[in-house]
Amino acid sequence: MSEPTKAPEAAQLAEEAKLSPAELKKRAKAEKQARRAAQKGEPGATGVPVPATNGTHEAPKPPKQSGPQEQKAQGSQQKGPPQQKQKQGVQEGKHERTGSIQQPLPTRGMPALAGPVKEVQRKDKKQVELFSHLYTQSRRQDIAGASKNVHPSVVALGFQMSSYEICGSSARCVAMLVAFKEVVQTYVTPSEVSLARDLTSRHLSPQIDFLRSCRPISESMGNAIRWLKKTIVEIDPRTPEQEAKDYLCDEIDRFVRERITVTDQAIAASASALIKDGSVVLTYAKSSIVEKTILQAHANGTRFRVMAVDSRPLFEGKSLATSLMHAGLQVEYLPFSGIAYAVKEATLVLLGAHSMLSNGRLQSRVGTAALAMQAHKADIPVIVCCESVKFSGKVALDSIVLNEVAPSEELLLPKATVSHAPALDRKDDDDEDRQVRSLHDWRDIPGLQILNLMYDVTPAEYIRMVICEYGNVPPSSVPVVHRLANEGIM
Amino acid sequence: MPSSTVGQTPSLSTYLKSLKHNDIETSIELFISLLKRRQIRNSRSCAIATISLLLRVVGEVRTRDAQQLIERIRAVGRRLVAAQPREMAVGNIVRRVLENIREVAERDQDPAESDGSITTPSTPPVPGETKQRPALRTKFSEFSPLHGAATLPQDMNARAPLSASSGDSSPAIAGMAETALQRPPLMSSNTSFAPQGPAGSSLFSILQHPQGRSPFATPPAGAQSPALRALPAKGDEGPTSEKLDIKAEVITAIQDLQRELEEVDDEISEFAQDHIHNNEIILTHTSSQTVQSFLMKAASKKRKFTVFHTEAYPNNHLETHDTIVNGSGGGSAEDADERWKPLTSMGITVILIPDSAVFALMSRINKVILAPHTVLANGSLIAAAGSSTIAQAAKTHRVPVVVLSGVFKLSPVYPFDTDELIEYGDPGKVVPFQEGEFMDKVDVVNPVYDFVDAELIDLYITNLGGHAPSYLYRIVADHYRVEDIDLSGGKGEAGGAVKAG
Repeated sequence: MSEPTKAPEAAQLAEEAKLSPAELKKRAKAEKQARRAAQKGEPGATGVPVPATNGTHEAPKPPKQSGPQEQKAQGSQQKGPPQQKQKQGVQEGKHERTGSIQQPLPTRGMPALAGPVKEVQRKDKKQVELFSHLYTQSRRQDIAGASKNVHPSVVALGFQMSSYEICGSSARCVAMLVAFKEVVQTYVTPSEVSLARDLTSRHLSPQIDFLRSCRPISESMGNAIRWLKKTIVEIDPRTPEQEAKDYLCDEIDRFVRERITVTDQAIAASASALIKDGSVVLTYAKSSIVEKTILQAHANGTRFRVMAVDSRPLFEGKSLATSLMHAGLQVEYLPFSGIAYAVKEATLVLLGAHSMLSNGRLQSRVGTAALAMQAHKADIPVIVCCESVKFSGKVALDSIVLNEVAPSEELLLPKATVSHAPALDRKDDDDEDRQVRSLHDWRDIPGLQILNLMYDVTPAEYIRMVICEYGNVPPSSVPVVHRLANEGIM
Repeated sequence: MPSSTVGQTPSLSTYLKSLKHNDIETSIELFISLLKRRQIRNSRSCAIATISLLLRVVGEVRTRDAQQLIERIRAVGRRLVAAQPREMAVGNIVRRVLENIREVAERDQDPAESDGSITTPSTPPVPGETKQRPALRTKFSEFSPLHGAATLPQDMNARAPLSASSGDSSPAIAGMAETALQRPPLMSSNTSFAPQGPAGSSLFSILQHPQGRSPFATPPAGAQSPALRALPAKGDEGPTSEKLDIKAEVITAIQDLQRELEEVDDEISEFAQDHIHNNEIILTHTSSQTVQSFLMKAASKKRKFTVFHTEAYPNNHLETHDTIVNGSGGGSAEDADERWKPLTSMGITVILIPDSAVFALMSRINKVILAPHTVLANGSLIAAAGSSTIAQAAKTHRVPVVVLSGVFKLSPVYPFDTDELIEYGDPGKVVPFQEGEFMDKVDVVNPVYDFVDAELIDLYITNLGGHAPSYLYRIVADHYRVEDIDLSGGKGEAGGAVKAG
């Protein structure tokens, strides 16, 4: 459809230089008609007459640009002829600018477009392109926009999660289920609908969405939600409401007890047997299960020491070191740059997990992979302690596809730190070119981005063993355990 | 401290200012205290301070005798190196100066000896004992203390008799002594400066002087030095009129070295275009001025690339943030008159990441560019903490690692005990001292440097060009003398010292 019109348009190209208003009018009308025809034929399609001329002029330019232009064109086309004349005038003035000389409407639309396009570009530049798929939802800062159905305890939980007060996948899972118990209790079944069908879709979903908007949910939370939905659906519709609700709450309690609390004790008992007298246990960030393991080993009377490696910006390792210190253990605390030093002395590495992926890889706090790699090179066994509720059916080959990007502001140091002594010597602070800026102005600096990843994926070959409630398994057994535990298939 | 600037933290700039009006001993003491208190920190600052100090020392030495000059420098160098052994740049500069002095002295001893066949001893090169290839004889760098120590005493004492008797000594001793005597072709340190002799005579010399000269050892761009081995002991003979020149020549050589230090970044950046192409994703670590100028040069050649910059917490992160936001200039040269523009102003996307994200992102990185603190004789590095993790991750993902370093960072020391070379820094940077209980009960460790093995490095770019790590020993051979590696004692003293100076 565009080809036949291209020829006449090309001819028009030649005449265009004459700039006679009458011809312009004629051309504009022809274009308008063609456009209308195009609109009827293919709404929102690219190409087509006037856009075709666009194409001839802007062949080297990316088709994307003509896209928004045409849409704008088609939008403004409906305004009517009088506007066209104005646009022609505008067009003549902007003859050289765009190259879409024969198209009055897009030219008119261009200035309006320039605004949003530029803003989008500016905003995009602050997002690292590699991870653009993870920026889809910015973290909620306040309660505005939340559905009215969201339970207050869920609201509180959401903010606790986004501020890292509750951090760590087991903790978040348990906290979420506890909050859901209250949600279930406040639920009232409307008439003509059964609890089993309605609770999930109408009552539970907004809660989950709210939590997700505060912080992307973890794998353990995901498995728990799937289990909960399955349990709800299996409730006999004839059970009275209160009984059903009580049943659900009991089931949630049972889930937490069986799959997290008791499991943790079992894993701790099993893993603490690996810590012998004289061991030097190396651990990273703060895993509740690793903490329990270490305390269990200490309670068993084993004499060993712990090296805790930490990283920015969460400094979870520091809270682990503090709690171990209070328990009377000998702890060494290192920043992330001290890993090379740490692996010289360590004899065992214990890691916690955010989730175990089905290709045997470990998804855990960012930095775990580097530590596991160094330990592997130094021939130190790397053991992962992970409840089956964190096992996942997903697979990943790198740390980019499945990840979470936290707000960049968390990486900024508090402002009142160093005052640069050189700044005192500088007399050119007034000179705007040499203005001494701090990292806090990063948004104003074009081209500067700050990336705050939360997780990374450790290759399976670095992991010696995974300890879960089903026993000590190699990483290759993860999909089997996942099937068993989370999908109920024997 | 006779520093005239009141209220300023002692640093490189204050030291350089004070050098002008303090006497030598005070200056030396001042520098030692700066080193001990770590108020003068990275390689470049130490090198600049050392060279300025040595310039003054040489300027003040009264003697015309090269040997005494050497002794004086050695004595000063000994004290400086002892003040902070881990700042190897200090020792490197001292050894460079010594090498220059020796070379000047040797040149002055035989001014007309550009082609003269020399008495030299022996004989057509004995294969396996060939004097022309000392460097290839052992597995260790020829400057390893074991190798050097073994020959040291013989060296010093054998030199005189050798020359006197026109060396009929057995090839073995002569060979080993020749090692010491044999001046590695006088290269690089002086290439950019006054060329030293007939440039085109290298191959010709094979035919004329089988002994002594080693065209095999000529580095690619080399001019051969004219003067020769088998010299009379320095300073013993030789026309007195020549002595006048020694001090001046040495001062010129030292000033050339100073200029080299200033230009090292520019010279390294010249190679930027060869290594960075469009759409590359580069990873770099810490706020190194050299790396920044390298990347700026590539950016100025209209290459558009992305830089992931790790922040090197806790020792360097503030400077790194400053470098990213404001450009270089805040690092080693506090009062630098130029503050370079930041990379972002050249249209390069710079992404700041915490150190922990290195492994996660390595699969997408095309190249890693590091700047070391020191480069060791076998091609391994001492670099800022975190570099070892980065280099290992790069190796795992098959990402090339490029190291940018001036030749002044290249040390003749062989890393026998890598643990000794690591410096540990202020634990207060990791956990503030206010947290008393934590600091009391928990052992906080803050290593400042990491050892990176030579196998993890793919390429070194120095101001002389690009080299594989296995070639570095050759550059070491060009710039340092065996007898200077161990700065302890005096000559003739039981050089059995296994420790490298």
